[in-house]
Amino acid sequence: MHKGVEKSVGVRMIEVRNLSQTFQTAKGPLQVLTDVNLDIPRGDFVAVIGRSGAGKSTFLRTLNGLLIPTAGRVVVNGTDITRLSKRELQKYRRTVGFIFQQFNLVNRLSALDNVLHGRLGYLSAWRGLLGLYTEVDYRIAREQLQRVDLAAKESARVDSLSGGQQQRVAIARAMAQQPTLMLADEPAANLDPVLSEEVMRTLKRFNEQDGVTVVINIHALDLALKYAKRIVAFKRGRVVFDGAPEQLSQDLVDDLYERKEMLV
Amino acid sequence: MSGLLFYVLLGLLLAVLAGVAKGSMRRWVVGAGLALLVVFAAFPFSRARGFLSRDTVDPTLLALVPTFPLLLLVPLSVLVALVLARWGGRAAGLGGVLGGVAAIIAAGWWYAQPAQIVRLHPVEGLIELLIALGVAASIALLSFSRPKQRVPILIGAVVAGVLAFVWFHAPQGGGVYLPKSLGYYKLLFPTPPATQQEIAEAYNRALPELNAIRKELGQDELQPIRSLADLQGALPQQASSQGYRLVQPATTQYGAFAVFFLAGLMLGAGLMQLGSPRLQEPDDFRAGILIALVASFLIPAFDATEFDLNKLVVGWPFLQQFADRAWPPLLADPAAERYPLQEVLSQIAVTVQMALVGTFLAAIFAMPLSFLAARNVTAGTPLMRSVFYATRLFLNVLRGVPTLIIALILVAAVGLGPFAGVMAIAIHSLTELGKLYSEAIENADKGPVEALESTGAAGVNVVRWAILPQVLPLFISYTIYNFEINFRSSLVLGLVGAGGIGYFINEKMASGQYDQMMVGVIAIVVVVNIIDFASSWLRSRLV
Ligand SMILES: Nc1ncnc2c1ncn2[C@@H]1O[C@H](COP(=O)(O)OP(=O)(O)O)[C@@H](O)[C@H]1O
Ligand SMILES: [Mg+2]
Repeated sequence: MHKGVEKSVGVRMIEVRNLSQTFQTAKGPLQVLTDVNLDIPRGDFVAVIGRSGAGKSTFLRTLNGLLIPTAGRVVVNGTDITRLSKRELQKYRRTVGFIFQQFNLVNRLSALDNVLHGRLGYLSAWRGLLGLYTEVDYRIAREQLQRVDLAAKESARVDSLSGGQQQRVAIARAMAQQPTLMLADEPAANLDPVLSEEVMRTLKRFNEQDGVTVVINIHALDLALKYAKRIVAFKRGRVVFDGAPEQLSQDLVDDLYERKEMLV
Repeated sequence: MSGLLFYVLLGLLLAVLAGVAKGSMRRWVVGAGLALLVVFAAFPFSRARGFLSRDTVDPTLLALVPTFPLLLLVPLSVLVALVLARWGGRAAGLGGVLGGVAAIIAAGWWYAQPAQIVRLHPVEGLIELLIALGVAASIALLSFSRPKQRVPILIGAVVAGVLAFVWFHAPQGGGVYLPKSLGYYKLLFPTPPATQQEIAEAYNRALPELNAIRKELGQDELQPIRSLADLQGALPQQASSQGYRLVQPATTQYGAFAVFFLAGLMLGAGLMQLGSPRLQEPDDFRAGILIALVASFLIPAFDATEFDLNKLVVGWPFLQQFADRAWPPLLADPAAERYPLQEVLSQIAVTVQMALVGTFLAAIFAMPLSFLAARNVTAGTPLMRSVFYATRLFLNVLRGVPTLIIALILVAAVGLGPFAGVMAIAIHSLTELGKLYSEAIENADKGPVEALESTGAAGVNVVRWAILPQVLPLFISYTIYNFEINFRSSLVLGLVGAGGIGYFINEKMASGQYDQMMVGVIAIVVVVNIIDFASSWLRSRLV
């Protein structure tokens, strides 16, 4: 499963070309992404930063096909995922984990059931309907729960868990997919600073141990600088910075968050 | 006359009661005034008879104006009162008093007139015009929600209105379906004395023939008349078919009560306004319109439903007799081998079982159907979309048919007994549950759906694992509630022969065994309360 591990960092995994996204809203068309170009190598840990409304979530959703872009290509491992059929898209998505700010767990089910959902993409439709997971699925699910230190909580209903624990269940669900790419949309924004660090460390560990490529939207600049190998900054739907954390200048940060304009 | 005075007093009383609340009285002046205008133009006041009962015309005050022009005083004085009400303060009060008094005098004067012959003059195209306006207005309403397409919608409304008028007015057009509506509104014109005399003479000439027929039928012989005022009841056929009617001002219709009631209200409110002119408020006209609307719908409704407390007085002896015979309830009479309690218990059980089976069947079928009727689940492809619309249409149309009517049809098809009831309950509940379930599905949290979609799960599995766990407790709660309702409707279903305790009660009522029937009634009260209680307890545990 972990083919990514052997391949060295630097092999192109994601190629984003001339990506644009326009939404039709009640007030007319709204251009959210404009001509985004980006290469993400295998094994990278990318933090996407920018103000709220800059288009980060939209960008991330495009990467796993939750959104179809208005123009441009997203090539992952050589296939343009914007042109996949529904079936192929499902097959692609099971290799991409997605972590949400609101966790998006199924509240009335147990932690284990939620993690098992990560395996649904590998089951036939009818086995999935009946919940007939294989032994392997159970083993993988339990293993991932273990890795996020929640083995003891496997049969607890997730709405009885704390926010940090819930997010770890969500991470375990994503990891149960055995993904080669992990997308996370503000995974720590609903958590306190300690838990945020914990979530970031967990992601970092998966990145380093399993060679999973991680792209994470993040609001907190300090966390981005601390954990990411690379920073991509969005401003009003455009990429305005793409480089190592050390290269990010204070001026650019000010500009990015438009602090000067806000002071006036 | 005393009857009409009663309505004036009723209006005054209402004004006083409204005044106790220390609110603005001006709105009552305005409300009563506007309502009077409606009554003047649209509510029947007197009765005008022809030859047959279907020749009868009940004219409004407006229709009577050509015969009795003084009636114009009613709308004119109301208009003056409304203008004065705009002015406000004491002027508004004065307007109310003047308007109320003028309306009472004018309408009362007409009421005191003798019977007289009038000639009908139908107003052509009036109902057609109203229908056309209705069509145009309902289309024009659309333009509020779509400001961008306002102009084309308004044009469409006008075109549709014109088409509706033309279609309805055309010789073989829509009027065929509503034959009464053409020329429905009739003005009443006075007839010159010469014409009246002619009609009377024609009546006298035809009298021998008529009396011969009456003799055969064993009826009294009719005497010749000197003038039409001597006529009792009906007009001669020929005069009737020529459009003449005998209008009897004192034969009042509900519009007359409305006039005197509203005039009394206006007068009373005016007097109170004079007393406390400062209490008026800026939105009195809006409140007045509301009052007038309520009155305009409520008054005809009371008449149409034959509301008459007097009937209760007339029926009182029966109620007394019923109570005497129903109490004490007869639980069992071993001597006569009658065991009502036992029968009631087994019939109650059948009723509960009908509700159980009906609810169960409905829930089983509603579950898959509700997913097809949920917007969010069927968003995928155009095919799913059309399935969605078809399911919605099916559920909505079927939901309009009450359980009782379905039972009535099924009893005819499958015979008397609980099976018809069960099926009726199942069919109706299917539509109710289908709607409730699908709303629950549409309101389900989208987060888990998105999460499972991004694990690459198949569409059905997203529904199964992201939506179903969320909505299942709601489904169960709705189903229990539905069972509660179904128990009550299965009580009524017995009345159309679909089994259960309702059937028992119907039977005992018809055969006058009220003491046995009472056992059933008590049992129902007890069981309804038990089920209500148990259902709400269960549902409170669920969520
Ligand atoms: N489905 C959509 N339809 C219309 N507008 C959208 C949609 N999704 C996002 N937007 C708009 O696009 C802009 C960028 O949103 P988003 O990508 O969520 O920004 P970020 O994640 O950087 O805060 C926002 O103004 C948002 O309102
Ligand atoms: Mg966002």
